[in-house]
Amino acid sequence: MKEVRGVVRDNTRVAHDTFLLSLDCDLPVSRPGQFVMLQVACGYEPFLRRPFAILGNQARTLEILYKIKGHGTRLLAEKRTGDNVNVLGPLGKGFSVHDGEETIVYMAGGTGLPPILSLAENLRQGILILGVQSKDQIPLLSRISSLPGVELKLATIDGSCGRMGLATDVLDDVVCNVSGSVKIYACGPKGMLLATSECAKRIGAWCEVSLEEFMSCGFGVCTGCVVETTGGNRRVCREGPVFNAQEILF
Amino acid sequence: MDTRVEIAKGVVLKNPVLSASGTFAYGEEFSEIFDLSLLGGIITKGLSLKPKKGNPCPRVFETTAGMINSIGLENIGVDAFVQEKLPFLGQFYTPVIVNFFGNEEEEYEQVAARLDVDGISALEMNVSCPNVKKGGIEFGKEPDILYSLVSRVRSITRKPLFVKLSPMVKDIREMALAAQEAGADALTCANTIPAMAIDETTWRPVLGNITGGLSGPAIKPVALKLVFDVYQCVNIPVIASGGIATYRDVIQFLLAGASAVEVGSASLRDPMCFISIIEGTAAYMKEHSIESVAELTGKLII
Ligand SMILES: Cc1cc2nc3c(=O)[nH]c(=O)nc-3n(C[C@H](O)[C@H](O)[C@H](O)COP(=O)(O)OP(=O)(O)OC[C@H]3O[C@@H](n4cnc5c(N)ncnc54)[C@H](O)[C@@H]3O)c2cc1C
Ligand SMILES: Cc1cc2nc3c(=O)[nH]c(=O)nc-3n(C[C@H](O)[C@H](O)[C@H](O)COP(=O)(O)O)c2cc1C
Ligand code: FES
Repeated sequence: MKEVRGVVRDNTRVAHDTFLLSLDCDLPVSRPGQFVMLQVACGYEPFLRRPFAILGNQARTLEILYKIKGHGTRLLAEKRTGDNVNVLGPLGKGFSVHDGEETIVYMAGGTGLPPILSLAENLRQGILILGVQSKDQIPLLSRISSLPGVELKLATIDGSCGRMGLATDVLDDVVCNVSGSVKIYACGPKGMLLATSECAKRIGAWCEVSLEEFMSCGFGVCTGCVVETTGGNRRVCREGPVFNAQEILF
Repeated sequence: MDTRVEIAKGVVLKNPVLSASGTFAYGEEFSEIFDLSLLGGIITKGLSLKPKKGNPCPRVFETTAGMINSIGLENIGVDAFVQEKLPFLGQFYTPVIVNFFGNEEEEYEQVAARLDVDGISALEMNVSCPNVKKGGIEFGKEPDILYSLVSRVRSITRKPLFVKLSPMVKDIREMALAAQEAGADALTCANTIPAMAIDETTWRPVLGNITGGLSGPAIKPVALKLVFDVYQCVNIPVIASGGIATYRDVIQFLLAGASAVEVGSASLRDPMCFISIIEGTAAYMKEHSIESVAELTGKLII
């Protein structure tokens, strides 16, 4: 963990309300699933930093893919080339990556895409299931669909693209058709993570989920972000955000 | 110029800036980004006799220039602290002050007794906790209850004892005097201010615990007044807590009567703020030819 200065190189809209931010910044090496806390305000409004997954962190460039949710992300979207953004990171534990014969299935829903995309770009194999509301909400579609070694399957609620329905509906199909064992990585809304975790349990698949919790510090000192696990309270920002799905008491 | 402060007999802070309890955990995380020996002192997360799980989530809500928390004093318990965390803190050249609390007087005594070990410079008592045996009223709300509690703890420990006062009391001066008479070596002014947040879309409270405590720059003017009031009625050092985020805040609190300050919420948003606050305070003193912190404490011109 380090506090570093980021300088905005690029901050462009890539989907309906989603932006891709590139910062020139000297962040230490990170793993897929780790995140940063960005200082979005100059004064005290908002008071706290905002957590964002690290999409890319190479060659002194930090990439963040973010969706406008409220005041903080709106301020972030107003940043222009050359503006400063203070960065704290890398934070948390990333996904655990080990070699195996299993088919890798990535599950991404909503703002859960960035850490999953980062992992898929790193592992370069498997099936990526992305669930969104409608087609115009899919950011970086060309980048996602041209991932080397990764097959993309889309689910949209309104049916504007891919299969109509939820990412978890696609997951049920995928796991039925895969021969051999499956390994699942998921990030997205709680409901999706719960359904994914239940599916993994049913088929005996190993499954890691990345959780989102409101964070005030992001580096483990306030215990504001705890989640209940089979081993007691765990800080999402420190022991997570990635957890073994079967440890989480959803 | 000398930024040192002797906050209690034998407890010398190299500068008047301490970490606040509950926003610094047990020091490990902060040690990854700066050398903790730079701090005036470290105050650790409040400890109870047994580990405590804390309140349901959400536990934190952001407000204008601050935050409301209802962590519920989650902590690892006094024994785990002494065994697993204290040795780590021992490597830094700065006093370790341990914050603690209890649900009844006996628990305060038992925790204090277990903290009477090497490596701890002083104890800070959090008295903003419900007294389970007395119908849940906070120990820090009635002078006689506070006097009795502090006296009992005083007789248990040889460590310098700081009492961290509650801000929401009828008259904080009565509480300060009760703690002083009972043998407190210093007073921390003050804890978070009771607060809540409501979600108008769901008609429900935001925090899992319904209510919590407000902290951050939003409470600074309130804390300043409490320090000002307490300083005038006691003759032991006052440590300020509430909204401190810059060296200018430090100078203001010293003028109001503080001998040292604690930085809490500001360090959650900006963990390196300790360094800029410490350097800024020293630079201010140098620029104004102030030789010692004592030349500022209580020197408000009225
Ligand atoms: C580990 C982690 C990684 C994340 N990665 C990304 C990412 O890569 N891209 C992305 O777009 N978003 C990500 N988020 C969510 C992002 O942090 C929030 O959307 C953002 O903080 C909202 O800030 P705001 O000021 O715009 O909204 P606010 O006005 O603060 O709130 C708007 C809504 O967002 C929710 N929210 C606010 N703060 C947080 C928070 N700290 N965590 C979760 N939800 C919050 C609130 O409950 C509210 O419903 C991540 C969250 C976490 C915990
Ligand atoms: C997340 C959080 C946890 C806290 N935990 C404790 C605690 O365990 N014991 C205690 O005496 N005070 C605790 N406090 C109060 C702080 O130590 C401090 O007195 C208060 O937050 C006001 O200072 P600030 O505005 O600098 O944060 C906590 C505050 C916060 C924000
Ligand atoms: S956000 Fe503070 S401990 Fe996780």
